[in-house]
Amino acid sequence: MVHILYIEDEIDIGSWVRKDLTERGYEVTWLKSGEDAEKYISQVDMAILDVMIPGLDGFSIGRRMKKEKGDLPILMLSARTAVEDKIEGLNFADDYLTKPFHPDELAARVEVLLRRYQKNDDVLKLQHLMVYTKDMRIADQETDEEIQLTGKQYQLLQFFVRHLNQILTKEQLYEGVWGERYIEGDKTLMVHIRYLRERIERNPAKPTIIETIRGIGYRVKI
Amino acid sequence: MKRFFQSLLAKYMFLILLALFIVQISYLIIALFVFGISKNGEDPIQMQDMLVESEIEGKWHQEANALQNVTSESIQQHFDNWKQQHPKASMFWVDGQGTLANQEDVMEQLPAKWSSAYTAKFIKEHYGGDPFTVIAFVGQEESNGFVVLEMPRSEFDPPLAHIYDRYGIIFVFGIVFIIFLFILVSFLFFRSIRKRLLHLQEAMEIRDVDGLPIEIALKKKDEIGQLEKTFNQMVCELRESKQREQQEEQLRRELIANLSHDLRTPLTKVRAQTYSIAKESLSEDGQKAIKSLEASVVNIDRLMENLMSYTLLMASKYKFESQEMDVLRYIRESLALWYPVFEKEGFEVEVHLVPFEQNKWEIDPIWLGSIVDNLLQNVLRHAKKGGYICVKTESTNLYDAIVILDRGNGMKNASNEAGAGIGLSIVDMMVKGMKLDWDIESGEKGTTIKIKKYK
Repeated sequence: MVHILYIEDEIDIGSWVRKDLTERGYEVTWLKSGEDAEKYISQVDMAILDVMIPGLDGFSIGRRMKKEKGDLPILMLSARTAVEDKIEGLNFADDYLTKPFHPDELAARVEVLLRRYQKNDDVLKLQHLMVYTKDMRIADQETDEEIQLTGKQYQLLQFFVRHLNQILTKEQLYEGVWGERYIEGDKTLMVHIRYLRERIERNPAKPTIIETIRGIGYRVKI
Repeated sequence: MKRFFQSLLAKYMFLILLALFIVQISYLIIALFVFGISKNGEDPIQMQDMLVESEIEGKWHQEANALQNVTSESIQQHFDNWKQQHPKASMFWVDGQGTLANQEDVMEQLPAKWSSAYTAKFIKEHYGGDPFTVIAFVGQEESNGFVVLEMPRSEFDPPLAHIYDRYGIIFVFGIVFIIFLFILVSFLFFRSIRKRLLHLQEAMEIRDVDGLPIEIALKKKDEIGQLEKTFNQMVCELRESKQREQQEEQLRRELIANLSHDLRTPLTKVRAQTYSIAKESLSEDGQKAIKSLEASVVNIDRLMENLMSYTLLMASKYKFESQEMDVLRYIRESLALWYPVFEKEGFEVEVHLVPFEQNKWEIDPIWLGSIVDNLLQNVLRHAKKGGYICVKTESTNLYDAIVILDRGNGMKNASNEAGAGIGLSIVDMMVKGMKLDWDIESGEKGTTIKIKKYK
């Protein structure tokens, strides 16, 4: 079970979030201040931190945690909405959500972060595909055959899986997978997406797994 | 007093006085020079023996009259004596019979026989002329004839005139040298002032990273030094005032941020409770009420955000950091985030972003983000009925534009959800703050908003 450390001093909000996340299948440790936070760092898979808490503020705690455990996803959950605060938070944290938030949004963001850090041992089911996120294996559920992908196709799919439900622009995809600056008019990405679709889609002419969002980019949605 | 002596004025006064002093000194030097020459006896003309015509004339008369034994020899003896004293003098004797007897160094042609007419003519011609001529009778009687002394007039010039003749060039050069020296010193003096003024000007134009001038190193305590000191004081005051301003800005920001935080915390609690209630089994009316509550929470949140931005913008305290960036890429990424929201609300989304000739705009990404968020939020809230949003580019000869259009009821018939006004005010301020322009066309069939960048 994914273990989340949650620091929040407001009782009402804290108990509500803990209840909601627990219902969604996470194990939640809720602390009212950052004093004992360090004890939990080694045990948890993720941290959700409020900024304005008694004692050490959320930014400092988050920074310490990140320093100690670089692969710990951290989500800042704060009522401070000023751009300066967001920027300061995102300097070390992976996400910054402002209050008041909808629990669905929090859950979605937690999901995204866990997937990005591959903390989920989930087997991801994408329509007829089974994606084993830990060892990045892909199999056709119906035929039970493994699908072989080339390096770039595999990286592309991995990038989509890490950003599930997010629309990714050409630039973001190209720069995320190739690590180089996208030049307007470059067809490399489109070619690779076409090959990838030929491998994984039932009908590559009418793709359903890798959606095209016209004018914006592509999306893989669960 | 000390300050006066450090001043440029005092320096220049000193220079002028020095020049005057040198002129005076040079006169003294000339006097000493002349005096020195005469003392050393290098010149035969002696100061104390300065020749005066009347004296020579008297002496010549006296000595001629005193001659007793008038013979050719005694006259010659007399001439020789004079010749010794006055080497440039010429003399001759015309005896009682009118015969030219003795002559000494006479250059002009003289007749051997002197008639009374010729004598008169001679006197008339030589009177007051050059050479200076003295005619004296020899002895006590006119029968002994007369002796004539001729001396060039220049012999009677004052000794200074002789010195000018000999040393004139040195004097002229000396004077020219002194004049040039004065000009040179004045030139150097003013050049150094000019150099320092130019240096000061350059130093005043240098700006620090924070846009303020930099303090200048003080070198001297004169007027320019004082100017530099005053300038430094000014820089210091500017810096202090800027710091004060920044502190105030920081305080204001903090205040607003804290206020916003303090308001949002209870709002989150409201939301939490609403969410909890929504999970209970409720009547239809109860569910409606919950929905309306949730919508209000979102609305208050948005209004608070806008109010905060608006307050900061109005006070010009909203940070503006422009950078050159690809505007279409930014818009596309914003749309990627908004797309699911529109999708959820059942909007048809059309995006046509065709690259401009120049995609790099000088903008603040945070500001542009605020603008796009505000406009899209308005579409979402007020044009739901149209169920359509289109974001596209438009290029004309005059401008490149990003166009957002919907098929809602238009601004006049805006839905009953309030709060659009402040959002549009923010958009207006931010658009103009980034030196862009925008216009809205709103009718019953929809609203078109263009954010334009003029070419």
